[in-house]
Amino acid sequence: MRWVEGASRTSVCGLCAVASWCAIVAASARAAEVPKLPRSTVGLPARVEQLVLQGTELEAAPWDDATPVVVRIEAVYPHGTAMRYDISYQGLEPGEYDLRAYLRRKDGSTTDDLPALEVKIETLLPPGQIRPNDLASGPLPRLGGYRLLLAAAGIVWLAVLIWLLYPRRKRAGETSGAEASLSLADRLRPLVADATAGRLPPEKLAELERALVGYWRRRLGMDDLPPAVALEKLRSHPEASPLVRQLETWLHRPAGAGEVDINALLSPYRDLPADELDRVPVAAEAHSR
Amino acid sequence: MATLERPAPRLPNDAAARTIRFVEAVRDRIATVVVGQDIVVERLLISLFTGGHLLLQGVPGLAKTLLVATLSKTIDLSFARIQFTIDLLPSDILGSEILDQRTNDFRTVKGPVFTNLLLADEINRAAPKVQSALLEAMQERKVTIGKESFRLPAPFLVIATQNPVEQSGTFELPEAQLDRFLLCNRLDYPDAVEEREVLKRNMALGVQREERGAIVKTEFDVLEGGPVGSSEELVEAMEVVHQVHVSDTFVEHVVELVKRTRSHPRIELGCSPRAGIALVKASRARALIHGRDYVVPEDLYALAEDVMLHRMRLNYEALADGYTGADVLRQLLDEFGFTRNPTTRASHIRI
Repeated sequence: MRWVEGASRTSVCGLCAVASWCAIVAASARAAEVPKLPRSTVGLPARVEQLVLQGTELEAAPWDDATPVVVRIEAVYPHGTAMRYDISYQGLEPGEYDLRAYLRRKDGSTTDDLPALEVKIETLLPPGQIRPNDLASGPLPRLGGYRLLLAAAGIVWLAVLIWLLYPRRKRAGETSGAEASLSLADRLRPLVADATAGRLPPEKLAELERALVGYWRRRLGMDDLPPAVALEKLRSHPEASPLVRQLETWLHRPAGAGEVDINALLSPYRDLPADELDRVPVAAEAHSR
Repeated sequence: MATLERPAPRLPNDAAARTIRFVEAVRDRIATVVVGQDIVVERLLISLFTGGHLLLQGVPGLAKTLLVATLSKTIDLSFARIQFTIDLLPSDILGSEILDQRTNDFRTVKGPVFTNLLLADEINRAAPKVQSALLEAMQERKVTIGKESFRLPAPFLVIATQNPVEQSGTFELPEAQLDRFLLCNRLDYPDAVEEREVLKRNMALGVQREERGAIVKTEFDVLEGGPVGSSEELVEAMEVVHQVHVSDTFVEHVVELVKRTRSHPRIELGCSPRAGIALVKASRARALIHGRDYVVPEDLYALAEDVMLHRMRLNYEALADGYTGADVLRQLLDEFGFTRNPTTRASHIRI
């Protein structure tokens, strides 16, 4: 019985060894399987990842201008007794190639034990054509392109800005210029004429009064005095007081209109020259301040 | 000319004469205590005669409080003073209801606002809700305490003061509330002659014995004797002011001046119609104080700053250019009076 037991133990060990060998062989066979490498076209890079190749580590073989396929090993990982690679390749000429021809082992040993690494590089051009296809004809681009469009938009924007600003400034300038060019005498003349004719409404009478007082303030150099102070001084000024007092009587005193001879009051201001005030020497009136 | 044929207003000459005597008596009495400040006294009288409120703006020490206290003693008017502070409550001014423990019922205690002449000292130091409470009373001339409304005594005049220098911890009155003051007068320092007189009078005040002690007299102790005017005379003066003649031409001046504040290129917020009303009212009172029964443009010019300046707000460009409200008003009056060419927007805008 002991013998039988010993024989049985031996056969079990043997079975285990056979199983282990079978497993290694199966693993090797799986490692030796090479996936189908993707096709590519001329100039377009393709890539294969996690490719297990037996033997020592590989590297890309040197290449020159005549090499039809450029192969790069991008990453290498140990994989049991084999190595695992991420490889990219780029075909420069159409045709079918075996990448083994463009690889070599780092230790200089042969690569004959490698499986075939066949790739097909196709071309989009008809055979014999070495120049690229002409561009497909499409609709015409915008006239002048983007820069011209930007320049045109800028010009339009500027034109609108000028249109918005310039005429208004011009109008304001014209207004102020027109007002500035009208002397006080020019403004007084029509008011005096209408007042003498009895045609002035209250708002124009008010304007006439202010203009007459303003005339005397300018004439006597009282422009810089506060208006109330200037009026007080005018009321006591020998030349201006008759006008100021009669204006008050005419325009503000109850029933005062009948007491004033409006024609006589306004006659000195009927035909004032436009530059009347310019000719008045201010220094002569300096005492009135 | 149709516009000139107006019926003459019937001014009771004897009443006008009495009013003018009343004004002179008040001015003389005030002058015994307060030196100078003729313009402010005139503005006080204008406010009294028109029933409009007055805001006095000036640095401390210009006799604002003394002036108002003196006026209240000069005319037979009740007077109260409230020093506005940050912790003041509306009930401190208006009054409140308190529980009477004997009757177990609420009793209304009226505040200091129930007076003829109320001095609101440093009004900008109080919180806005207190300012609003007072300004509502000023506007409506009545106060509601609890569920009951009470009319304020007549005349009721608020004279508020503001210190323009110390602005920290103050609440500036908004334009809408400033608009309720008929006049805002900016007090200036007295000239050298007036200041000399102030010092002389102060040096002559002396000391007043009280029981076993003594106190140094102040200007507040100087006013002696009874009032020189009664509230009846004041009422008569108010009636006479309403009969002062205002010509159509003067109204046109006012309308034009107020209108120009709304279109001036340096003014953001122009004067309201209330400014025009205030100008006419104040001009009438000033005319009477100056012995006239009709207003003249001089009244308008003299009162323009006090009536209009606190009702205008300059725009950002004017402020950035360093203009003050007084500068712009001065320009506006010069343009209005034909002594300066109009300021146009073109001459103002810088591009």
